[in-house]
Amino acid sequence: MLIKDIITPGRTLCGIEGVSKKRALELLANTISADVPAIDADDLFRRLVARERLGSTGIGHGIAIPHCRVENAEGTLGALITLKDPIDFDAIDGESVDILFAMLVPERAQDEHLQTLAALAAALNDSAFRDALRSADSHDALFQVATGNH
Amino acid sequence: MDVLNQLILLAGVLFLVSILASTLSPRVGMPLLLVFLIIGMLAGQDGIGGIEFDDVESAYFLAALALAVILFDGGLRTDIHNFRVGLRPALSLATVGVVATSALCGAFAAWVLGIGWLEGLLIGAIVGSTDAAAVFSVLNMQGLALKTRVGATLEIESGLNDPMAIFLTILLVELMVSQESGFSWMMLTQFFWQMGAGAAIGIFGGRLLALGVGRLALSPGLYPLLALFGGISIFGAAAVLQASGFLAVYLAGLVVGNRVSKGLYNIQRFHDGIAWLAQISLFLMLGLLVSPVSLIGYASAALLVALFLIFVARPLAVWLCLLPFQFSWQEKLFIGWVGLRGAVPIVLAMFPWLAGFENWPFFFNIAFVMVLVSLVLQGWTVSPLARRLNLDVPTTSSRVQRVELGVPGQDHYEFVGYKLAHDSPALKLTSATLPLPGRASLLCVMRGGQPATLEAGDTFAEGDHVYLLATPLELDSLDKIFVGVAEPERLSAQAFFGEFVITPRAKLADLALLYSFEVPSDKASWSIARYIYSQYRYPVVGDRVKLGQVEFVVLEMRDNRLLKVSLKLHK
Repeated sequence: MLIKDIITPGRTLCGIEGVSKKRALELLANTISADVPAIDADDLFRRLVARERLGSTGIGHGIAIPHCRVENAEGTLGALITLKDPIDFDAIDGESVDILFAMLVPERAQDEHLQTLAALAAALNDSAFRDALRSADSHDALFQVATGNH
Repeated sequence: MDVLNQLILLAGVLFLVSILASTLSPRVGMPLLLVFLIIGMLAGQDGIGGIEFDDVESAYFLAALALAVILFDGGLRTDIHNFRVGLRPALSLATVGVVATSALCGAFAAWVLGIGWLEGLLIGAIVGSTDAAAVFSVLNMQGLALKTRVGATLEIESGLNDPMAIFLTILLVELMVSQESGFSWMMLTQFFWQMGAGAAIGIFGGRLLALGVGRLALSPGLYPLLALFGGISIFGAAAVLQASGFLAVYLAGLVVGNRVSKGLYNIQRFHDGIAWLAQISLFLMLGLLVSPVSLIGYASAALLVALFLIFVARPLAVWLCLLPFQFSWQEKLFIGWVGLRGAVPIVLAMFPWLAGFENWPFFFNIAFVMVLVSLVLQGWTVSPLARRLNLDVPTTSSRVQRVELGVPGQDHYEFVGYKLAHDSPALKLTSATLPLPGRASLLCVMRGGQPATLEAGDTFAEGDHVYLLATPLELDSLDKIFVGVAEPERLSAQAFFGEFVITPRAKLADLALLYSFEVPSDKASWSIARYIYSQYRYPVVGDRVKLGQVEFVVLEMRDNRLLKVSLKLHK
């Protein structure tokens, strides 16, 4: 899996200020919907929230990977936002979260997306990569860092 | 008078040397009990100390007393929830397991040493039980975090199996004395009386003792002593009635430890020390009692039997006993390996002497060498083996240094203190943004030896001492805030538990949709917790169920209730 295959500059936001967990998920849904019009923002938001109800998608180290299935999507879609102030996310290690990487998979996807999810979690577990993401100071820089073009 | 003073000096020095030697033990990984035994042997008749001690009768008296104290302490420290998890497999090991191990080992000893069947079986029975002191200390001292089911099974087994080995030994000694051979109903009645009455006296006595500790108004220093002598009286009462005192005292400790809330901390602290004293005295004394030179003559024979016991008899018996229970092959292998022999076989080896057998040194020396082999070979390798078999459940608590103080008059709160290290997550926080759990509250911060007042925006600094009031349940969350989790521990935790947290209430159907696995329609409305309970009667942290390509791992338990499950993706 390559991160550049699932995010676009339009779905990468850097240093967002003053959000809550709910607001962050809403922002992810809106960002994706703005970039991929076939996806309905409200529906996506509801699905992300439904997934969080099953348990937090915070994987530790201040990272969360909200994920769900969506209709009308072709292949796996992602969106990345970093926050200025970390938010409480109930993550597995209890740390507050400041990097959110949403991952959406089509309704029909079989097992492959689980590998993508695992690979994404593994990539974000690399502390150098996390530090690079956190040090990005603009949307564009964040996109370049995330996709490895810096 | 002079002799007595010298004796006091000698005893003092022996204990001092043992206590100081204990600091060496963790560094070389050598089991502590072996250290005490060797010091005893060095001080004894063939060693540098040259102390002559061969009063078997007083040795037996002291050893029984010490074992009672060690078992009582073991019971005090066993959590009743862990007891439930480990009881059934431990019972199977402590009964069928002891008989099978003794029979196999005895038959081999009779064959290889060319002695009679009864003599052979007597050797088997003498070394039939695992040693509570050895198992407790090996499991606790080496910072091992085993799955609760494995740890509890081993501890409870070692607490419960002595009565069985004692029964078998006495039975065989009686058979040899009376020259009768064959089975009689008397034996069976004796067995049920020993175990039944022993258990009843232990449980009833423990309740009475717990009531006494809770109700009596004593000077605070006397409660631990009340518990100790209550335990010893229960041991004595059972033994006088020909029931099993060891079983009674272990169960009494368990009952007291789980029924008393007032001052339990003090009682446990005190017994921790007393159990150390008992272990040191016991092994020092056994080391003094033996004459190492005479061991040499038995070494090769005993080594053979010991190796058979360690590599064949015990693993086979464990495998057989654990068939009905949920243990992985790694766990069974490990339980087989932690069949540490300790003081009990040496004490049981005194029985032939007490019965007036002429060839008692044979049994005594064989048993002694077997214990040495077991302590060296198994005691030394337990934690490397656990790590090799991946049985170590990743924990964060091993590294945590915190000060805990009971709050006088408040059972449910504790004062805790942390010294902030350079990598403490709290350094990024201020007293206002501190995400304190539940009812925990910040009491004060000491900076440079002075109480510091933190304004809302002030951050914590390295070297600050932070003091809080919290309930015991909140300590884990506080550890995460003030100590944090080191990187290697985090990685091993993630490799073990997986990436995401799942609430136990999550429906299987919802999870199946997200993570592509099939759920039979009758289970679609089940929660993940219900599914785990259907697979494990008493789930423990680290238990896992696989569904499709993902695994669900038990992440947090409290009182046999599932609190958190984690989801592990496969790469």
